[in-house]
Amino acid sequence: MKKILYFFLGSLILFLSSCAKDFLETEPLTSKTDGNYYKTPQEAQDALTGCYDALQLIYSDGVAFPLASEVMSDQCFGGTGYGDSDDYAMLDEFDVSVNSGSQNIYEKNWANYYKGIFRVNSLITHLDGVEWGSQSSLRGTIESEARFLRAYFYFDMVRLWERVPLLTAPTSDNVPQASADETYALIASDLLFAIKNGRTETYSQIATTDYGHANKWAAESLLARVFLFYTGYYGKSDLVGLVSKDEALAYLEDVIANSGHDLVSNYADLWPAASTYEAAQNGLPITSTTYAGETNKEVLFSIKYTYTSDYNGNTDGNHWLVMNGLRKMAWKNSGYGSGWGACTVIPSFYKTWSSTDKRKASSIMAIKEEGINYTQIKDMKEYTGYFTKKYIPLCDENGNSTAEMLGGVSFMISQYQDFFVMRYADVLLMAAELGSPNALGYVNQVRTRAGLDAATSVDKDVIYQERKYEFAFEGIRYWDLLRYDNSLQYASDKLSLSEKVLTGGIEDQKVIQGTIFKTTRGLSQIPGNQITLSGGVYTQNPGW
Amino acid sequence: MLQFLHTKFSEWVSCKRCSERQKGFLAVLFMILMMTGEIFAQEKQVSGIVTDNTGLAMPGINIIIKGTTRGTVTDLRGQFSIKVNPRDTLQVSFIGYRSQEVVSGEKSFLKIRLEEAITQLGETVIIGYGTQKKKLVTGATAQLKGEDLDKRKAVDPLSGMQGITAGVNITRTSGQPGSSYKVRVRGVGTVGNSAPIFIVDGVQTNDISYLNPSDVASIDVLKDAASAAIYGNQGANGVVLITTKSGKPMSGEGTETKYSEVTLDAFTGWQGRAKKIRMLNTEEYVMIMNEQHLNSGGSVGSMPFNTSDLPAYTSAGVANTDWFNEMMSDNAITNDIVLGVNGGSRYSTYSMSLSKSTQEGIVGGSDLSKYDRYNVRINSDHKLFDDILTIGEKVTYSHIDNRGIAVGNQYSNTLRNAYNTSPLMPVYDNNGDFFNSNSTTITDQNGKTYWNSQEVNPYAMMYMTNQSVNNSQKLIGSMYGELKFLKDFTFRSTLGLDYSATETRSFTPIYELSLYAFSKYTKASQKIGKGMNLSFDNLLTYQKRYGNHNITGMAGTSVQKSSGSYLYGENAYLAFDDLDHAWLDNATNTDNAALITLNGAPYTENRIISYFVRGQYNYKETYLFNATFRADGSSMFAKGHQWGYFPSVSAGWVITNEKFMQDITDYLPYLKLRLSWGQVGNCNIDPFQYLAPISFTNASYNFGSTEGVSNNGSYPSRLSNEGLKWETSEQFDIGFDASFFDNRISLNFDYYRKTTKDWLITAPVLATAGTNPPVINGGNVENNGIELVLSYTKNEGAFKYRASINGAYNKNNVTEIPTEDGILHGSTNSLYNNATEFYRAETGHAIGYFWGWETDGIFQNTSEVNSYTSSDGTLIQPNAKPGDLRYVDQNGDGKIDDKDKIDLGDPNPDFIFGFSFSASYKGFDFDFLATGTLGNEIVQSYRNQVDKFANYSTDILDRWHGEGTSTTVPRVTNSNINYKFSDIFVQDGSYLRISNITLGYELTNLIKIKALSSLKVYASVQNLYTFTNYTGMDPDVGYGFVNGATDSFSSGVDLGYYPTPRTILFGVSVKF
Repeated sequence: MKKILYFFLGSLILFLSSCAKDFLETEPLTSKTDGNYYKTPQEAQDALTGCYDALQLIYSDGVAFPLASEVMSDQCFGGTGYGDSDDYAMLDEFDVSVNSGSQNIYEKNWANYYKGIFRVNSLITHLDGVEWGSQSSLRGTIESEARFLRAYFYFDMVRLWERVPLLTAPTSDNVPQASADETYALIASDLLFAIKNGRTETYSQIATTDYGHANKWAAESLLARVFLFYTGYYGKSDLVGLVSKDEALAYLEDVIANSGHDLVSNYADLWPAASTYEAAQNGLPITSTTYAGETNKEVLFSIKYTYTSDYNGNTDGNHWLVMNGLRKMAWKNSGYGSGWGACTVIPSFYKTWSSTDKRKASSIMAIKEEGINYTQIKDMKEYTGYFTKKYIPLCDENGNSTAEMLGGVSFMISQYQDFFVMRYADVLLMAAELGSPNALGYVNQVRTRAGLDAATSVDKDVIYQERKYEFAFEGIRYWDLLRYDNSLQYASDKLSLSEKVLTGGIEDQKVIQGTIFKTTRGLSQIPGNQITLSGGVYTQNPGW
Repeated sequence: MLQFLHTKFSEWVSCKRCSERQKGFLAVLFMILMMTGEIFAQEKQVSGIVTDNTGLAMPGINIIIKGTTRGTVTDLRGQFSIKVNPRDTLQVSFIGYRSQEVVSGEKSFLKIRLEEAITQLGETVIIGYGTQKKKLVTGATAQLKGEDLDKRKAVDPLSGMQGITAGVNITRTSGQPGSSYKVRVRGVGTVGNSAPIFIVDGVQTNDISYLNPSDVASIDVLKDAASAAIYGNQGANGVVLITTKSGKPMSGEGTETKYSEVTLDAFTGWQGRAKKIRMLNTEEYVMIMNEQHLNSGGSVGSMPFNTSDLPAYTSAGVANTDWFNEMMSDNAITNDIVLGVNGGSRYSTYSMSLSKSTQEGIVGGSDLSKYDRYNVRINSDHKLFDDILTIGEKVTYSHIDNRGIAVGNQYSNTLRNAYNTSPLMPVYDNNGDFFNSNSTTITDQNGKTYWNSQEVNPYAMMYMTNQSVNNSQKLIGSMYGELKFLKDFTFRSTLGLDYSATETRSFTPIYELSLYAFSKYTKASQKIGKGMNLSFDNLLTYQKRYGNHNITGMAGTSVQKSSGSYLYGENAYLAFDDLDHAWLDNATNTDNAALITLNGAPYTENRIISYFVRGQYNYKETYLFNATFRADGSSMFAKGHQWGYFPSVSAGWVITNEKFMQDITDYLPYLKLRLSWGQVGNCNIDPFQYLAPISFTNASYNFGSTEGVSNNGSYPSRLSNEGLKWETSEQFDIGFDASFFDNRISLNFDYYRKTTKDWLITAPVLATAGTNPPVINGGNVENNGIELVLSYTKNEGAFKYRASINGAYNKNNVTEIPTEDGILHGSTNSLYNNATEFYRAETGHAIGYFWGWETDGIFQNTSEVNSYTSSDGTLIQPNAKPGDLRYVDQNGDGKIDDKDKIDLGDPNPDFIFGFSFSASYKGFDFDFLATGTLGNEIVQSYRNQVDKFANYSTDILDRWHGEGTSTTVPRVTNSNINYKFSDIFVQDGSYLRISNITLGYELTNLIKIKALSSLKVYASVQNLYTFTNYTGMDPDVGYGFVNGATDSFSSGVDLGYYPTPRTILFGVSVKF
């Protein structure tokens, strides 16, 4: 008996101790870890897609850059719902006391930009470990696209907040804010790398499944935009010693001469709602729109969106566009879907815009003039009678959200219209501004398409006037104002406004003071929670 | 047995492989056994009856001849018969009664009357991996007996436990049948999951709602670290041990002595609401809406409603819908039936039961809210080889069918929808269909469509969006073998299994109820999942008495492994149109990938391996010592950090055993001092937190020109923390147990200090990290408290009663949060759309305290606004209007901002208590239970404050509407200006609830039925009345937000809380 027992106990202990050795070893079966990832070219490619995914992420929550740029500009008020917070009014008036206590409106954006930067940095630091084999040329392409994206993220950030922590490798350290010049140096060198190593296919050579990749042409034109903003806003002659004016112009001329991109002939065809409206105006059903599509030849770079967003963290959709829609009402006659009524257009901008300019009807939704029976005025803040038209939700002929009809979860997150970051028209106008010998021709290409007479001479103000109308509501105007002169006098003059609006159906006088704007130097609020979390390593921008 | 041995003997003798020596040994053994049989012959037969002190016969009573192992047991009529020697003393004993010794002498018929034992000190309690005499326990434990639980007539054990175990705070997360509870032992110990672990018959599980309370023999809560440390892993938040019923072990001669009992217990009850919420009716609603409009600067001409011509959308006229009434269902049924069989013989005992419980919901009615549970339990024990080996099994299987309405956050809460809908909307349109506010064909008398096309019919919404059914199965069981050897040693091996499977199916019909609430196609989803937890425990125990020294030593190992997987599918466009046909096979959609969801994954295996030892020593049962040590290895952590070590020591001193106390033992028969210290651990996190995983979900980008088609991407989704280790809770406890006055009064007292450190939390990192933060160790919370249990028992002839009161005071204080600002921020957008943060965990405050502005009444006029200035003359609230709230400028900086927000109270009660009284007189018995809390706050937010058309409760009628009209409720406006988070949301949640009153009568006192030993009828009222100042329907609000694993510390948030019903029930209990 004893022996049996001892044998039993002994073998049990042996069994247990031999088990114990490996027993606690488990491995994840549905995810890889950074220890065993980034090994094959395919994994690098997928990680790059993850970086592009961050492009959809950055504007998916908080206040999207394209929206903020419009709210802050001299073309839109904040708008939104009567019961909503005053965050948009606070941005619009550059005045924190409008909604005091609102210290974190950009926190989600701040965090999402750094998610994108983290993904890029993780990929770049792992590129040496990839076994490229026969696909060694892929490495340059992948790195150039990743660095293009990093430049894109930092360029948004440096314009919004100026001093941001500058990270070029993944870290959880408390990194202090860098100076603007340091950040611009990184942006410039990333874009120069992308120009040197990026994809060089011309527009017609791009495979249909490859639209959306940042190529050499996108990098060249973005670099020019960076050059113009930096040199204008800071009053410098070159881009932190890395790019001269001539070089910037040369990059644009290269795009014009060699990229294969061109203007779309009808301006309205660039915009889903504008082309639908045009069809309706011509007595056609709204389904017979002449929309040129998202991958048309004018688009040098866009953020691609589609309707497959969900509430489980998938941000494939254009989450910010719904803000601009007609608040809580669809207008099926013109295919305008329902939205939240942000970015109400400043009436004087509409009224001073010549109606012979074809771009006017393509850019602004005029309630009375278009005969829209709008019933939700009482539910609106800062209602002006005008909404934007370029980035708004659409509905079908029955008033149903087109995003939902495609299978989207909800019109609120399933909008699928791409955001055109860089159009060929901008390349032309920037080249003209940088002093191209063909400046007059470039400007007139843009004017003629708009149905306007050709200009006879060009200068900075003529080009500014053209940019104001050409790029209305595309997130460009505000930054043009800021870069006009280093003293910000031009911007301050343009931004001083006083106009009548309806809030909750009740008339109100909306006043924006250029002096307050000057205190902030046009910069935005750094998220208060992040300043707190940094233990005061970050400092707030003046005026916020 | 003899027959068995005889057979075995023959086999073994003929065994070819046995050595001659073994054969010889067995032959001698056999002869000895035969000889002892011979001795029995000299005795005489004695019979008798055992009754209790009221004269009722007591079946199943053990009668043992002193000094022998022989004995018998009384039959159903309380009678027995046994062969004795005239000098023999009979020992008669039964749990809960004083043992008696009777010398049979020359009598041939004995009448034995057992007195109920007043003290419970002779009882044993369950401790980790064993039992112990209650009077020798040195830790802080609380025991709840099955019969006490049974008195509550609850559908699940936790609701039965509520309020009767000191220091265990049980709150409901919702009153819906089948919803879960929050169980907190001695305060909230962490910001993550602070629930205790449950161990049912030695098998660890996370939930005990699957049990029928009638199957429970006892529940023992190990509250202090010294008691729980033997369960080192995951014991940081307390351990709850549940023992299910076993057959009664019988002692008697031979295999003939058996005992059996069949019980049948059934009740049926009717549930209804205990209190109602009154929302504004049409007349009041219209008045308030118009007033709101005027207060917000609107003109009289543009008022939203014309009171003389209100819109009517059905032929029935202007609607005046009481949505709350529409949602509620009175007379929801609950019933329960239990059939049990218990029995046993000298060698085998068994206990089986079969039960079914049903509870319908009081919101939505039985079609939408219902819980059915079927249970089967089979427990048995068998003694083999002359008691050397005992084997047994305890198995419970449960099957649960349930369906329920949404009781979650502001976006999925059915009752909240009802609170927010205007009374102007009818439930049905003229065609008898659900009213659709976006319909272009439904118009009022003026030809206008419904005035608010965004308003959703809440009743219809509840119906449309809760088309789902769940069923789940659970099998928890253990098999064990216990071997006694070398006289003092016992080896016990237990194999435990916890298997569960769930299946959920739901259907979304086509509907349109408003501009935003619609479904354009039918949809079905199916989910199945299963999980299994296996454990293997081995214990070696040594027990020895050396004179006055009693020593028990135990060493053991435990291995646990859990695994499982799930599969989920969803598709659209069904060929059929109802829930019964909502199966994926019936979905016709094949080409729209966006409408198809398909996922499945394994639950990561969680493995724990443990080694533990325990030493217990006492001298004369007066000086008691106890020490444990446990080492746990967990697969949750990286190599090198897997092991946690958890020691504990405790000591007790039974002072009344001392000579110097002998003079006062008449008054103070028992007094024991206890002192304990120990550490316990917690590894309750998601797996692989020490790695940085690459995520492939939510990483796609749609390159190319086709909508809806995306390339898959990847990114590292979390930072790693290789150094992650066990969370530790350390507890110090001092207490005493005493009984006074002939043991009629008993008193237990405990003081404790519990410190939980190295929390496993996801602390916020700087956003620049760029991905999700890792789980880290950090943060401390301290809980200090006092527990007291006092009971008084008295027998006045046939009238017996017992009164008991328990109370526990606890103070919770966070002492460290490992972030720069020392705060774990609560979620936003929680109280209403876009609402700001209102709860947090912060150093120096209780976990989950409410953070907001303090108000100081209401501005009665403009001059009050203008005179509200800071010391330097700045207007503090320049934009305020008369009727607005005046906020206190805490820091005196002349403006109201986040810096003026303070601690407005917390959801953790300072004091929880219960009072019970039970009495019996002849055949009647009566039970009363009242429970309550003191010092907890509740945040109430029924209204979506940014929706100006949302309805109000009638409390708003007390609003400010002119100077002097109110000092507490601000004026009404279209916006939420007076509903930024302040103390007007916070209410005192203290309450005293009459939880249960039961009156029963034993019918066999009136009519004797031969086959029955007991026939009892009873009636009971549960949740009869609640004394509280809280204005909601039910102050027992355990709801809080769960945002990830480490933001589950909020509680006491009433967004439209599904209340606990009031139940009246009648039952019958029969014993054969």
